[in-house]
Amino acid sequence: MADLSQAKGMELTGPGPSLASRLGPYALPIFLVLMIVVAGIISPAFLSSNNISNMLLQVAPLGIVVIGQAFVIILRGLDLSVSSVMATAAVIATSFSGQNADVLPILAVAVGMGAATGLVNGLLVTKRSVSPFLATLATMIVLQGFRFAYTQGAPSGNVPPLFRALGSASWNGIPYNLMLLAVLAAVFWVLLSRSRFGREVYITGGNPTTARLLGINADRVTIIGYIISGGLAAVAGLVLSGYVGIVDNWVGRGFELDSIVAAVMGGISLAGGRGGIIGGLFGAAVLIVVFNAVLLFGLPVQFQIIIKGIVIVAAAAFYVRRTN
Amino acid sequence: MSAIASSGMTRSIRKNQGIIVVLVLLAVLLVFGAFVSERFRTANNLLNILEQSTGLALVSLGQTLTILTGGIDLSVGSMISLLSTLTSGMINGDGSMVAPVVVGVLALGLVFGLINGILIIWLKVHPLIVTLGTGAVMQGLVLLYSLGPAGKVPKGFTYLAYGKLLGIPVGAIFVVVVFALVGWFLTYFRLGRYIYAVGDDDTGARLMGLPRAKVLLTVYAFSGFCCAMTAIYLVARFGVGQPYTGLNYTLASITPVVVGGTLLTGGKGGVLGTLLGVYLISLLNNVLNFMDVSTHYQLIAQGLIVIAAVSIYVEKRKRV
Amino acid sequence: MLKLTGISKGFTGVQALSGINFDVRAGEIHALLGENGAGKSTTIKIIAGAYQPDSGEIEFDGKVVRWARPADAKAAGIHVIYQEFVLFPHLTVAENIFLGYERRGALGLIDHKKTRKDAAALLAKLGVDIDPDKLVSELTVADQQMVEICKALVHDVKLLILDEPTAVISGREAELLFARLAALKAEGVAIVYVSHRLEEIFRIADRVTVFKDGQHVVTTEIGNVNRDKLIAYMVGRDLKDIFPPKRQLDGSAKVVLKAENITVEGRVKNAGIEIRAGEITALAGMVGAGRTELAMGIFGGLPITSGKIWIDGEQVDGMTPAKAISKGIGFVTEDRKGQGLAMQLDVAANITAANLSAVTKTGLIDRRLENEIAREEIANYRIACRGPGTNVATMSGGNQQKVIVARWARTSRKVLILDEPTRGVDVGAKTEIYRIMRNLADQGIGILMISSELPEVVGMADRVVVMREGVVSGQLVGDAITEEAIMSLATQHPTEAAAA
Repeated sequence: MADLSQAKGMELTGPGPSLASRLGPYALPIFLVLMIVVAGIISPAFLSSNNISNMLLQVAPLGIVVIGQAFVIILRGLDLSVSSVMATAAVIATSFSGQNADVLPILAVAVGMGAATGLVNGLLVTKRSVSPFLATLATMIVLQGFRFAYTQGAPSGNVPPLFRALGSASWNGIPYNLMLLAVLAAVFWVLLSRSRFGREVYITGGNPTTARLLGINADRVTIIGYIISGGLAAVAGLVLSGYVGIVDNWVGRGFELDSIVAAVMGGISLAGGRGGIIGGLFGAAVLIVVFNAVLLFGLPVQFQIIIKGIVIVAAAAFYVRRTN
Repeated sequence: MSAIASSGMTRSIRKNQGIIVVLVLLAVLLVFGAFVSERFRTANNLLNILEQSTGLALVSLGQTLTILTGGIDLSVGSMISLLSTLTSGMINGDGSMVAPVVVGVLALGLVFGLINGILIIWLKVHPLIVTLGTGAVMQGLVLLYSLGPAGKVPKGFTYLAYGKLLGIPVGAIFVVVVFALVGWFLTYFRLGRYIYAVGDDDTGARLMGLPRAKVLLTVYAFSGFCCAMTAIYLVARFGVGQPYTGLNYTLASITPVVVGGTLLTGGKGGVLGTLLGVYLISLLNNVLNFMDVSTHYQLIAQGLIVIAAVSIYVEKRKRV
Repeated sequence: MLKLTGISKGFTGVQALSGINFDVRAGEIHALLGENGAGKSTTIKIIAGAYQPDSGEIEFDGKVVRWARPADAKAAGIHVIYQEFVLFPHLTVAENIFLGYERRGALGLIDHKKTRKDAAALLAKLGVDIDPDKLVSELTVADQQMVEICKALVHDVKLLILDEPTAVISGREAELLFARLAALKAEGVAIVYVSHRLEEIFRIADRVTVFKDGQHVVTTEIGNVNRDKLIAYMVGRDLKDIFPPKRQLDGSAKVVLKAENITVEGRVKNAGIEIRAGEITALAGMVGAGRTELAMGIFGGLPITSGKIWIDGEQVDGMTPAKAISKGIGFVTEDRKGQGLAMQLDVAANITAANLSAVTKTGLIDRRLENEIAREEIANYRIACRGPGTNVATMSGGNQQKVIVARWARTSRKVLILDEPTRGVDVGAKTEIYRIMRNLADQGIGILMISSELPEVVGMADRVVVMREGVVSGQLVGDAITEEAIMSLATQHPTEAAAA
């Protein structure tokens, strides 16, 4: 029982007379299915194989970032620097010769950069007591500055073909990047929900003081959480660079807020200590479906943004009722 | 009157040592700048800095109040974009439309802010999320109205941005006056003190029966009003409003507040710190420009300043 | 002045009050007694308008009333001083005192000068020397209490309720408080005084009411009762039945933990303590004496600026909770929800939390093993829950406490520190926890119990160490352990104690 409630972020044993709370753990998957069905009815093109593979391709980059963001939010933090990390990773991908031989070096440098950013974030939050909002905001800006300085505002170069394939190709209809997402999700799910470290994450996120008094090194756990987020954001940036093909300085723009929205929708509470990766991934899926549906209905892109805003607030309000 | 004013100042400083830090930094920068380039030292340049900081100052003023209550307003960027586009779009070069549109936009800012406040109180969701959402909605709305620059404003309108009174830019004077008024309000009005109380201890404020709803509605409505003022100013400055005018202002409005010593958790700080923070950042950008530092490094510098500022203001962390 | 008739109040799963009657007259000091969970604080909150009663009637100043919120009660002239102060750390003393009722000048603007002056006058009336311009965060806890009390003096208060006011003050300050209360009494104010300190009650109260398990037991003139009678009313049973028999000390017990010259900045100064295997040592004193801080310093939860700690004769430096746990020390914290439990996790996770290594295999947690352990402890301690997967937030205070004790008992084979172990625990569970503590002691563990409940200290401790204002003021062993002796050491000025 405990793992399911951790995955969906709600107590199954709590009292809950209203329909909302009884539906709680299953609300998101139900909503997702409902939306897909409704969208399919309104516009049959929504369910075309073309569109579905389109959506599947878009889920992976966001999903990978959400995995990392989940760790940070459960630890009572926020990671606003992910978009900057993604963009920097994408720039790194184009900064080598553009051949497949460079894949490993690119990977090493990009993930290293992401992890280093995470380390800085973690240190700021734990050792200098900077609020996660400000700390990750600052690193986002600083990284952006470095990135612009390096590219002089105009990145150039090519992404190695392997990344292009990873980012946009499929096998039997299943995109490679989705497989990557599945693998990463599985690995990090085990880490978060089944491992000792994951248990320490939940205890620390629920209450850092309690964690310390239990002998848990709360600072170290938090720093590792940010490092995970940074590293995964870098991977997502590489995947996205493969999808997009051409790289500009703004790859991944908006992902920081989208990943937070997806996490909150998935039941990961900003207060910390609750929620799981599965919920976050459902949140990401819902977001992608919503954006896609809006576009497909012929609604202008502006509506995407409007709906995003409404969904964020509604989802958060929904969860407030549950945990109070 | 002067006795009260001076004691008000000393009280502000006592309550917010951050002000001293910022003053010192300002002094250091001024000296440094004077060394870097002689053009820096000209009155013209200094007045320029004052003029350019008007927009940031106005929006940061509203942000100061929301942060003081322990919340935040992330919708300011989108609101500025929306309001500025509406301003130039509706005036559309017609001089007789200027007055009604300006009044209308100011009122609209108040209304949007009120909506933020109502949602925060009614839904009980953290202001961060609510304003994130409303900001997104507003961004979508402005793009519906126009995908690019909209309309135009008549010549005289730019006086708001570039005009001078006794040699000092109108905008800068306006900023000082408005800041002083708000500072005065915070000190001498009950609602002003309650803003601090709610930020300091929200639960305690509830227990004491303080009018929490009134406080929150006021600060968010005022933040919206400040966005409107900023929007109008920016239209005057650029001659037109467009859907991404306010893009950077969301995050940019938080920096001076935090650097000026206001705690992100609320309850401590004030508008004096924010104003000094605004000057500091504008000054910094100016100096870096003179040093021929590219804007990219300026960004880095800003980020570093934020980190440095909050690290210094860390309150002694209670262990256990 | 105030009359409660047939008031009942229930929360999910708990009936806090059942048909209680309570009345207070103008110009009297009426003491309200009862154990934790007896219903005192619920009653106060109802009077203050923070809770609404499920049934019953409230009559105030001759009229039947129904408060919808605290502001209404306040407006009517009821003022409560809670144990946890409602003070705003970043505002000044003067501002805190007058918050909501600021002194205004000509144009309706706040007159800060007048506010400061009036605050200074009130503080002087109370006899304390506090600078009204200081930020509340800069004051000591005792001074903050004084400011809190000052707030009550601002209005035309008709009914004043004090909830454990002397928990954080003592000696001279308490005397000032009593003088002030006497003055208010003379002015016709009705005062409700909630406290555990029976000596004080006999000093200042006119009448006393006892609650037990949410019900009214007795109301009588103070002259009609004595200590023992009151205790009997409160507890309702022979004291001997509650506490398990103590150990006969023969001096053979070895010292399992020794601390010397421990200083925790601002709270503890050069204090030392010895804990012996198999014995229950109590750490007594008034709230604010530094007991928790001393224990936390020993455990590594608070930094110490001086001092040495020996465990089983071996000196240990640079103590941290992790180190302490590895050396066999455990700490059941005072605040269950804020420091002890992982509130969002289940029973099994909480029980294994102090020793995750025991259930970790190749980095992963062995849930099966964890649940097995949990089931074992649930049976062992008779924890009432649906199973290892029950979320701890849904359990009662007593059962939550058992989970925490179960957790630490598993890893603390040398020393177990318990800070206010029965606070907020119902009477039935209390007895069980006492039994558990004695059991653990009999297994050879050295128990350090921090407690503010004197009957508990007297009933359980083999040895008592008393602290006052950050220093150890004395020790008591065996038959010398009495409530009077403890109180005396807890309130005496340290130099007086030394001279005595």
